[in-house]
Amino acid sequence: MARRQTATLRTLRPVPPVWEIRLDLEYAPGAGSYVLADLGGPVREPLFPSVVDDTGFCTIVPRGHAVTRYLPGTPIDVIGPLGQGFRLSAAGYVPDRLLLIAEVDELPWLQPLYQAAPSVALVVEATTRGRLPPPARFPPTLELTLVTRDGSTGYLGPLESDGPTPVGIECALPRVRELVAWAECICIAGDMARYPALARLVQEVRFRPQTDFAQALVRVPMPCGVGVCDICRVTTRHGERRACVDGPVFDLMDFLE
Amino acid sequence: MIELAPNHKYGLPIAVPVMPASGTFGYGEAYHDLVDLSLLGAIVTNPVSLRPRRAAHGQRIGVRADHFVVHTGWPSPGLHRVIREAGPVWRRLPVPVIVHLLAARPVDVGRAAAHLSGVRGVRGLELGLTEDLSFAEARDLLAAAAEEGDLPVIVKVPFSRVDDLAPRLAQAGADAITLMSPPRAVLPVAGGEAGGQVARFMRGRLYGVALFPLLLNALSRWAGKLGVPVIACGGIASPEDALACLTLGAAVVQIDALLWRVPWLLNSVARALVQSQPQPDTEQDDVSADQGAMEANL
Ligand code: FES
Repeated sequence: MARRQTATLRTLRPVPPVWEIRLDLEYAPGAGSYVLADLGGPVREPLFPSVVDDTGFCTIVPRGHAVTRYLPGTPIDVIGPLGQGFRLSAAGYVPDRLLLIAEVDELPWLQPLYQAAPSVALVVEATTRGRLPPPARFPPTLELTLVTRDGSTGYLGPLESDGPTPVGIECALPRVRELVAWAECICIAGDMARYPALARLVQEVRFRPQTDFAQALVRVPMPCGVGVCDICRVTTRHGERRACVDGPVFDLMDFLE
Repeated sequence: MIELAPNHKYGLPIAVPVMPASGTFGYGEAYHDLVDLSLLGAIVTNPVSLRPRRAAHGQRIGVRADHFVVHTGWPSPGLHRVIREAGPVWRRLPVPVIVHLLAARPVDVGRAAAHLSGVRGVRGLELGLTEDLSFAEARDLLAAAAEEGDLPVIVKVPFSRVDDLAPRLAQAGADAITLMSPPRAVLPVAGGEAGGQVARFMRGRLYGVALFPLLLNALSRWAGKLGVPVIACGGIASPEDALACLTLGAAVVQIDALLWRVPWLLNSVARALVQSQPQPDTEQDDVSADQGAMEANL
């Protein structure tokens, strides 16, 4: 149901290189779903939660975003929650072992899942060490695997590639395979262009994973949120789908080529 | 009642002079939680082609200040699937459905018009023309829609072709004219290398409140002179805007992609227009007085 609500901007704070804002809202979006907020532009903007609780949610916006100039207490018109978020109990039970995989810029959208299962492993990939959040920002219960594209810390990425590895640096792929074999459910947030390769990786390890074993968030512009504008269409192996209503979380295997 | 197709054998009467523009509202029900459909005059569907069409690749929206450019390639599931899936919805809708046809070849338009003529709930067609059509091509498309089907045919004229096409298509038998499809525009878009040093551009349909004065210009030139009802479309963002269009001679207004931001604008415009309708015996005098004042200013 597309619901109109008024959110209240509660707090704003810089979390370099971005800003975190908190909105009080009666019906907040769950992990991977979103609300469409009227932030003064000619089209609404999708806001995904980085933290969700009983009274609202937090989200991340880029530095300089118009909303960072709003005052706390400002009412914001939103439509939502909208879309299909992460579906952890898709198999009929809550998984014990959850694997989260994110590119660092997309990491906030997996944050609400950090405690969604008894054992949660997180793989974060960044171009270089300086782009990774400090380890203190992660809860100690997370089993953390860091991947950098330049090998400056952790494993060498990209995580789906098994290219040549310089001596003394471990390639990420074997570690990722191990975690894929371990997991009962996988949630991914990254560049959609990498999803076919990640789908192949999961297929290699799990052969024929059940529906929604691995789920991937697709973040594209979504100005209408109700499936009428066709701007958010993504190509899947079942044909074109609209991220706003059919997603934005899809079965990763939908991206197998 | 407003008669949108006074020269057509069945006519196209609508109760309220407000409807969504094609491409902004889906096939009827997507906004049912946010918009009271019964307050509208009609629903105009997303563009429909006879055969399925895929979405355009690449960036599909560019936003800048108060305007935005959209390039979707008008994807369509194809007429048969649309009828199969939306047909049951159209039957239930409390208002007439106007199907927007993507005008490609006359034979396709004719076939689509013939199919749609038997679909319950569908009361009219709106023909979307591309900018590059000659008058003769546009006329052939119109003729195909009118002759192969028995629904009233509205023609939506591209922004850049209003002066050229609107009067001639009205004469050629269009039951009503929609002024106008959004202009084509190019926007620089974010991205490229090294923080946007390398500019990229996208071309598409332009939307925004700045279209509204352009619409009024088109209405002031053509509404009332075409001999058929005119539907105003472009940048209408408030009940006052809608009233201005009617004052300049439009019979009906369409709200374009601005409704994605404020879907209930459709309802607020509808309520305002219904409330503002003058008493029948004073209607003519008021409108002509308003028009007179406007013409003097123009
Ligand atoms: S955001 Fe409009 S169709 Fe998905």
